[in-house]
Amino acid sequence: MTTQISQKDKNKIESGIRAKYEKVAGSPEGMFNYPTGRAGLEALSYDPGLIENLPEAVTASYCGVGNPFSLGPINKGDAVLDIGCGTGVDTILAAMMAGPEGKSVGVDIVADMLQRAKANLELTGLKNVTFRETSGEKLPFEDNSFDVVISNGVINLIPDKAAAMKEALRVLKPGGRLMIADQVLFGQVQKDLKDRIDTWFQ
Amino acid sequence: MLKQLGFESVELVAETGFNSSPKTRGTLFRGEKALSTKDGKEITDVKDSLAKYQSFFDAAYAEGSLDRKTKHLVALGASLAAGCEQ
Repeated sequence: MTTQISQKDKNKIESGIRAKYEKVAGSPEGMFNYPTGRAGLEALSYDPGLIENLPEAVTASYCGVGNPFSLGPINKGDAVLDIGCGTGVDTILAAMMAGPEGKSVGVDIVADMLQRAKANLELTGLKNVTFRETSGEKLPFEDNSFDVVISNGVINLIPDKAAAMKEALRVLKPGGRLMIADQVLFGQVQKDLKDRIDTWFQ
Repeated sequence: MLKQLGFESVELVAETGFNSSPKTRGTLFRGEKALSTKDGKEITDVKDSLAKYQSFFDAAYAEGSLDRKTKHLVALGASLAAGCEQ
């Protein structure tokens, strides 16, 4: 789908995303059609050994749509990028798996989500995690700098998905892996662009 | 889309069962970045060739019936006779 989305529509989409996810940052409960928090993590078969090490406030903030870590390992020493990290649960888990010689970086456009992510991080005491406010469409990182790029329930929200995926490819090291959980539209894409924009994050 | 952008080994692995709406389904997919670009492969090929030449060179100039110094002098004489520039 290569329909160009105007800057005005992009702004509308991003405002909508912020409006929704500012509420989600407080608590995701009741905001989605699937389990969130610890129930979500358990239903998606996240490693129980890892989850039990997370503080309650951290797990409670989880609202992912799949377990990206089921797609491959995070090895000790890996550098991991989490696109649309939200409250940082996956980013934190990646950092735990990568160990002190590795690191994880989370990026998001919603300041409130990043604020919650930083608070979550503080509760864990981990030293190898950073968060940055930026869109996935233009990443402030060098080429070939990450072993793994993960994303959970986010690519569907990004207006220019091709740009985001090109950036993911750019920042991955040769041999690096992309591991994504996302909502995929099945069936017809709405022909009317206005309809698509209005129902962007259904 | 991922393949077109240059990802390799692109795979839709599974559905997650977490569907945000009747029209969308949670899915898991992965891809990889190639180990080396086309340029990278060419560099490797050249390195291989150089490595092979180095082995030949080392074997040719190894100490044997003629010592190394004599072999080099013979080579120098041959190259002068052949008119090699370097």
